[in-house]
Amino acid sequence: MAGKDITIGQYLARETALHRLDPRLKVLAVIAGTVVIFLYDSGWGLLVFAGMLLLVLVLARMPLWPLLKSIRTVWVIILITALLQFFLTPGKIVFSWGFLTVTDTGLYNGLILSSRVVILVLLLATLVMTTPPLALADAFSSLLSPLRRLKVPVGHVTTVMSITLMFIPNILEVGRKVMRAQMARGADFESWNVFRRVRDIVPVLVPLFVKVFNNAEELALAMDARAYPESGVRTRLHPMRIGVLETVLTFAFIGLAVGLIFVF
Amino acid sequence: MRNDRVEQILVEGLSFSYPGAVREALSGINLLFEQGEFCAILGRNGSGKSTIARCLNALIAPSAGSVIACGLDTRNRGDSLEIKKKIAMVFQDPDTQIVGTTVEEEVAFGPENLGLSAGVIRERVDRSLRLTGISNFAGRQPMRLSEGQKQLVAIAGALAMEPAFLVSDESTSMLDTEARQRILELFLSLKEQGVGIIHVTHFLEEATIADRVVVLDDGRVREEGVPADVLYDPEKVSDMGLDPLPVTVVAREMSSMGHPPAGPVLTVEELLSCILA
Amino acid sequence: MKSAEILCIGGANGSGKSTLAQICAGLLTPSSGSVYYLDKKVESRNNLLELRKKVGLLFQSPEDQLFADTVEKDISFGPRNRGLRGAELDARVRTAASLFDLSLEELGGRSPFTLSVGEKRRVALAGVLALEPEVLVLDEPFIGMDFDARQHMQSLLGRLRDDRGTSIVIITHELSSSWLLADRYALLAGGGVERLQSRSELVEKERDLIALGLRLPQWGVLANSLKEMGIFVEDPADPLALARAICSIREGSDGR
Repeated sequence: MAGKDITIGQYLARETALHRLDPRLKVLAVIAGTVVIFLYDSGWGLLVFAGMLLLVLVLARMPLWPLLKSIRTVWVIILITALLQFFLTPGKIVFSWGFLTVTDTGLYNGLILSSRVVILVLLLATLVMTTPPLALADAFSSLLSPLRRLKVPVGHVTTVMSITLMFIPNILEVGRKVMRAQMARGADFESWNVFRRVRDIVPVLVPLFVKVFNNAEELALAMDARAYPESGVRTRLHPMRIGVLETVLTFAFIGLAVGLIFVF
Repeated sequence: MRNDRVEQILVEGLSFSYPGAVREALSGINLLFEQGEFCAILGRNGSGKSTIARCLNALIAPSAGSVIACGLDTRNRGDSLEIKKKIAMVFQDPDTQIVGTTVEEEVAFGPENLGLSAGVIRERVDRSLRLTGISNFAGRQPMRLSEGQKQLVAIAGALAMEPAFLVSDESTSMLDTEARQRILELFLSLKEQGVGIIHVTHFLEEATIADRVVVLDDGRVREEGVPADVLYDPEKVSDMGLDPLPVTVVAREMSSMGHPPAGPVLTVEELLSCILA
Repeated sequence: MKSAEILCIGGANGSGKSTLAQICAGLLTPSSGSVYYLDKKVESRNNLLELRKKVGLLFQSPEDQLFADTVEKDISFGPRNRGLRGAELDARVRTAASLFDLSLEELGGRSPFTLSVGEKRRVALAGVLALEPEVLVLDEPFIGMDFDARQHMQSLLGRLRDDRGTSIVIITHELSSSWLLADRYALLAGGGVERLQSRSELVEKERDLIALGLRLPQWGVLANSLKEMGIFVEDPADPLALARAICSIREGSDGR
């Protein structure tokens, strides 16, 4: 494992302004952004928001290539979303091909929806890439703490979330190893036959799930052994300290994004 | 960590069954562990050696009998936090123990959970890194280290709890020989500083440097004593499901040839010294 | 590699063990140099697919690859992928299972997840043997096994070599687990392989081994120490020979 570029929960260790930003502010900004992009009526709102986001990323000197790679991993979902809109939305027919018809509203809706998904992915990827899993868990724990009075199991939620994030590279690694082992037994993952490819997924998914569950159990045990509190309340070596400037800037960003709802 | 009082872990009549299991994983175990002692626990797969490790720091509660760790009963859920402060644990797989994105964050995890102030956490982190000899790793990413280095980080993380005992649940089994050597040397130096080391392993050579060896078989204590007394007979050793040390096999052949070594031998040096004597 | 022999390649973690294993099995192609199988160079994609059929590969912790509802179905996965069906498939599965002391009556219908680690590992091995490879490449086959399981595995591998003429390559950093089993040795270091012939040659390389992060088993250390005292033992794996050597010194010094 030494020497490989393995990141925890896709966290990328760099020194950018976004890395230094208080995780709670980042979470709030991402939540606001997620809600807001579904409230824009027209594509212009999305475009301006995307521009704002890009500006922030560039100013913070974020490496953009990893972010683009995260879009690549979900391109299938984006494509399917867009295609469904193209073909299934009623409206004025733009062109047809056999029994498949594409309408103008379909095109428009498809583009809008897929843009929303793309921006969403970028927001989440930025968050995860600039915030270590434990810091994210602490941020959620802190933001959700008022809910504790309502007996909501905030601690459990944040623990599960942080373990899940920490497991993404583990899942990829285990998946890779299992695929390798099954390939050595003649499983074909490059076949043109779609049925073959789907069928050969089972010998990978089953051992993958088993191994990942076992690993998760071990991780939970290791965290328990070092007294990880059920409540999720803990101190930090580098305590979260919110600065005035960053708070103002973050809320300005959120405010602008919300304001755009009324403009577009 | 030097205390005037020597802490102990007292195991009395400990039995445990996993839910749904047919046989007991542990059956009526009686053992005593003391601070400042290096105790190795050996046994074949299924002998209960992993189970017993987890019973020592309240990760598992006994089905019957008791484990009194530093005066606290592991069956009391209320005491479990105090117990985890006194008895720290490292596990077998270096990869499923790591939670931090830097070594420093990783080692700070325990003290952070204890709600200590940032200043105290800092002290503990620095001290643990120094004890394990990895102070220069502080800013590095744990996932990029070798398996052996990851285990050193895990041990540092455990030491940051300032425990009286360190339980190692086969922490060396997934490492290569060089890394294993380094961990064992670390255990010996920690022992000198007053930490009680309980090292579960299936490698016999690791048990030879221990002060005391406990062999589990089928959930029970089969043998207990100093390494020389427990491990010198290759037939008994293989009967317990363990790999006899080659020198003990040679020593046995020598006995049958009429030239038994003067006493129990476990190492090459000991065997040869009876020739040169 | 010769047929019907067990070659043990010693390599520390990070020495390129699994890469070498995959090249031998035709899963990776080398950047330079080539693989020869039966004196024929592996060049075309067809050659590569042929090689994959002839060489069976098992990675570390092969029990992690088990997935099927029953042991029997898991073992049949490999040959089924090659197109075997019906009676021929059953026969293959039965042979492979018996090669590894797995009773299909007892275990065939059970879920692989209910087995012990040793049994699971043997099921995984049977799954690869069902493909009838001529060469078997094993990456750390003994890791995590206790004494009984290891002894059992060693005897099964020996039987494979003797009865079926299979060549077996064991790549490991734990030389002691194949000490008595291997016919020949090689060392993997810094991306290069050093070929050795016998245990005695390996024993001479004690210092080199340490530099590579490997350790000579106690047998070898003892044989080396005896050599330094002037006693030469031909087989550093034979306890009788070692004992006799030591006794002879004793007798000599007693003046008998």
